Amino acid sequence: MLPLSIKDDEYKPAKFNLLLKLSGWFRSILADKTSRNLFFFLCLNLSFAFVELTYGIWSNSLGLISDSFHMFFDCTALLAGLAASVISRWRSNDSFSYGYVRAEVLAGFVNGLFLIFTAFFIFSEGVERALEPPDVHHERLLPVSVAGLLVNLVGIFVFQHGGHGHSHGDGGHGHSHSLFNGSLSHGHGGHGGHGHSHDGHGHSHDGHGHSHDKHGDHGHMDDGFSAGVLLHIIADTLGSIGVIISALLMQKYDLMIADPICSMLIALLIGVSVVPLLKESIGILMQRTPPSLDNALPECYQRVQQLQGVYNLQEPHFWTLCTDVYIGTLKLLVAPDADTRWILSQTHNIFTQVGVRQLYVQIDTAAM
Amino acid sequence: MEDKYSSNVLSGGKLGMVEVPDSRLTRYIVLLILSKILKALGIFESYDILKVVHIVQFIFILKFGSAVILLVFQKPFSSGKVISKRQWIKLVKHAVSSCIISLLGFFGLTLCGPLRTLLLFEHSDVVVVALLGVLFTNSGGGPSKTRGAAFFIIAVICLLLFDNDQLMAKMGDHHPEGHHDSALTHFLYTAISLLGVADHKSKVDSWSSLVVPFAMIIFSVVILEFYVEAVCSAKMEAPRCARYGAFALFPAALALANFWTGPLRRPPPTQLATEHVLSGGVIVSAVFFVIASSILTAPSKKGQKGTLVGYSPEGTPLYNLMGDALQHTSQSLPRFIKDSLKQILEEYDSRQIFYFLCLNLAFTFVELFYGVWTNSLGLISDGFHMLFDCSALVLGLFAALMTRWKATRIFSYGFGRVEILSGFINGLFLMVIAFFVFVESVSRLLDPPNINTDMLTPVSVGGLLVNLVGICAFSHAHAHSHGGKSCSSQDHGHSHHGHSHGEHGHAHGGHGHSHGVFLHVLADTLGSVGVIISTILIRQFGWLIADPICSLFIATLIFLSVIPLLKDACEVLLLRTPPEQEKDLNSALEKIEKIEGVLSYRDPHFWRHSANVIAGTVHLQVMSDVVEQRIIQQVTAILKDAGVNNLSVQVEKEAYFQHMSGLSTGFQDVLAMTRQMASMKYPNDGTLIL
Repeated sequence: MLPLSIKDDEYKPAKFNLLLKLSGWFRSILADKTSRNLFFFLCLNLSFAFVELTYGIWSNSLGLISDSFHMFFDCTALLAGLAASVISRWRSNDSFSYGYVRAEVLAGFVNGLFLIFTAFFIFSEGVERALEPPDVHHERLLPVSVAGLLVNLVGIFVFQHGGHGHSHGDGGHGHSHSLFNGSLSHGHGGHGGHGHSHDGHGHSHDGHGHSHDKHGDHGHMDDGFSAGVLLHIIADTLGSIGVIISALLMQKYDLMIADPICSMLIALLIGVSVVPLLKESIGILMQRTPPSLDNALPECYQRVQQLQGVYNLQEPHFWTLCTDVYIGTLKLLVAPDADTRWILSQTHNIFTQVGVRQLYVQIDTAAM
Repeated sequence: MEDKYSSNVLSGGKLGMVEVPDSRLTRYIVLLILSKILKALGIFESYDILKVVHIVQFIFILKFGSAVILLVFQKPFSSGKVISKRQWIKLVKHAVSSCIISLLGFFGLTLCGPLRTLLLFEHSDVVVVALLGVLFTNSGGGPSKTRGAAFFIIAVICLLLFDNDQLMAKMGDHHPEGHHDSALTHFLYTAISLLGVADHKSKVDSWSSLVVPFAMIIFSVVILEFYVEAVCSAKMEAPRCARYGAFALFPAALALANFWTGPLRRPPPTQLATEHVLSGGVIVSAVFFVIASSILTAPSKKGQKGTLVGYSPEGTPLYNLMGDALQHTSQSLPRFIKDSLKQILEEYDSRQIFYFLCLNLAFTFVELFYGVWTNSLGLISDGFHMLFDCSALVLGLFAALMTRWKATRIFSYGFGRVEILSGFINGLFLMVIAFFVFVESVSRLLDPPNINTDMLTPVSVGGLLVNLVGICAFSHAHAHSHGGKSCSSQDHGHSHHGHSHGEHGHAHGGHGHSHGVFLHVLADTLGSVGVIISTILIRQFGWLIADPICSLFIATLIFLSVIPLLKDACEVLLLRTPPEQEKDLNSALEKIEKIEGVLSYRDPHFWRHSANVIAGTVHLQVMSDVVEQRIIQQVTAILKDAGVNNLSVQVEKEAYFQHMSGLSTGFQDVLAMTRQMASMKYPNDGTLIL
């Protein structure tokens, strides 16, 4: 009579050493390629933000300071992605019996929300500007937007293995207007736009890291997700092009209205492209039946019910733990004289074939 | 066999009429689109001609020309049957009415320009019939058609109200000697002057110069459209025809209206404003018209979507047409609103949220309208911020509604988690807001702006009043205001009430929650006090620095108060074992191990799904000679005592455990093996369906 359950309380060190912990995190970050890239990018962004902050304080430029705070905000999204990639590798313990794998999904969700926030703010700012077009100093917009595009291209090269790197330096574009008009409380410094496009990029990257995780694992079986990625890429590309076009329009034709319209368009594009990501992560967080199993499950139920001795199938619950792990529970009502072991193994067989790795089957014997 | 019955084919969902794929019809679609674009061009052209030709003359020429051409092509007198007297009468009636219609149409064209005429006048009969069907009959064709009609009506309203086309105003004073500011007239003018017969200022001097445009109009507006429509409706269904027509026509008209006043034109030196301006209202209404016509002409999907529920004993697939598919898509919108309103008003919590939302929204709209009216940018942006905050309230309301939905096949645990998710989102909202308040206050700390305290008083008093109402309404709850931000004139004096309420919905869950609520209340109270103090300080002593410090303080408080909430929500979303039940569960597991016949347990997972559902799964290894049913019952009872109310226990006997552990180690191998086994074994067992 061997106890098969293991409590790993005993193996935990009694007191946490902060330094040890930090180095452990550091090592685990560097161990994986995605999180390593994410980490470097975060470092780049953070150093940029700090340089901006110190320079802003030194030169007493309010615009630079507030812009650096915006960058910190965007860094939080990156940080969330990084934390998720570390946390999701933690072992499961008594409290978190499934482990921390869901952190990944949660981080994706948070990122999606942040993107939506950003899109909303850009949109409302665009509406304000459309009502009252400010005097934009557009001489610097074109070089800044082209530089943003370049940074994005670098990002794409760095994260090339991930399939796509995506840029919405244009996400920063919305902010960068306000700095060009240099008006009220939220005016930013001159090269803030550049910084913005940086961080817009960074934080998009974190969405990227997330999507990469998914993409690598099961991108081939989930068309909806790859469609979302495609949408994202298209939206970003269009966004960059939009910025450049609006800059050109402003320079050549003095069409000031092009700028707010463009930023509204970009906001809409961001919003639309984020929706699939959000939808998927909400589905997972709400314990939805996995969309990829939608079609397969009725057939499986049918096959289980056809097994000899099975009367009925009750309370089937199937849900996604993290990207590729599906968990299911169901109750079978069987005849009193049925061979439960056979039924159990057959049921497991049937559901394993469609990809449900963890299955709990409760067999209830029908009363005579 | 396998293919034919595979789930893709079966549950694809479409059982009804099959649409011909677009690829086979590409030719006709392209033809149709081309003809529509030409038509738009023709209408624009006729608008310009109508400026120099009287409308009656114009229509006469148009009708006459088309009649001649059609006479030649169709040969109505030499072919076909003889027309009876009754048919003649009908013909005359038809002719008169069509003349009147085109007279009205072209008169409208002269009045409001080609783009608006196109938008209002050129709707396919299919669309109009569908619209009237929705509006005036009961069996309009379901919710989607209603949506389409709503879009249509919104588009018309947009066109009527929000389109300030100042054509009328400009007509008199800007160009008294005639309208030659439009692109085509200029184009014509230059073209004709090249030919040497130039004049268009006076009323028609040389009819010969108008022959080409007339021929073009006759060809594009009447002849080509007639034939193409005839061909297309023979090849495709009429609704599809109308849909593609609308897709082509309206954007083409928009583009034309834009370009003809734009770069194509040679800019006349005296003229600054163009005649038919593209206003936002027109664009919006054009988009809505396109959407409306695509919805109204879409084939009715009713009864075509079903979910596969299984197979009949004969092997034919069975579909459930009433289940999930209906629940979300096919409920009509007005009824859905009515039902949800009823549900909202049923429960105390959601009713309060709803009333508060209405109050907030009313406040917002008053602010927005007032802002637009007085052209105050500060008020407008504040209104948008308040709308943003309202979205949190809407979210809470929606969550309160959704949690009461029944579980569906897809969401098998029900929608209880929406509440937690909405709490999480609200928490994030608050965090973001706190962050922005923080940033702004830091920037103000460095450079305190000159605050206009005159505006502060009414705004902050208003915010306080709204908050007080909120507090009274949710006497059991708490409302929080950080009107603190309202300290500056161009900033926001709104209460963030909403958030707190969204969270409050699930705030009674446990200790952690009540702690969070306590913190929240404390933060809010301190925040209000802070606003008042900073106002007094600014008023009395002129310490402008008090305002940013106060906002900093408030932001930090919000931040701190939100963290526990977020932590709780995260834990639930990460499927943590509920902390309150942890001890009970551990002791329950110990008890389970002591049940007679139980060898051990494996993979115990317990997690909170929503406020009142805790789900759990556990594997049990038992000796081979015990009665499984008794053990399951005992285990269920023990765990139910510990609070788990959605449990499934898998009982395994030893041999089975060996088998399963093999399965989970070499997963891929076993998968392949089982597949092979399945293909060989099932036919013998008779367990395979086919």
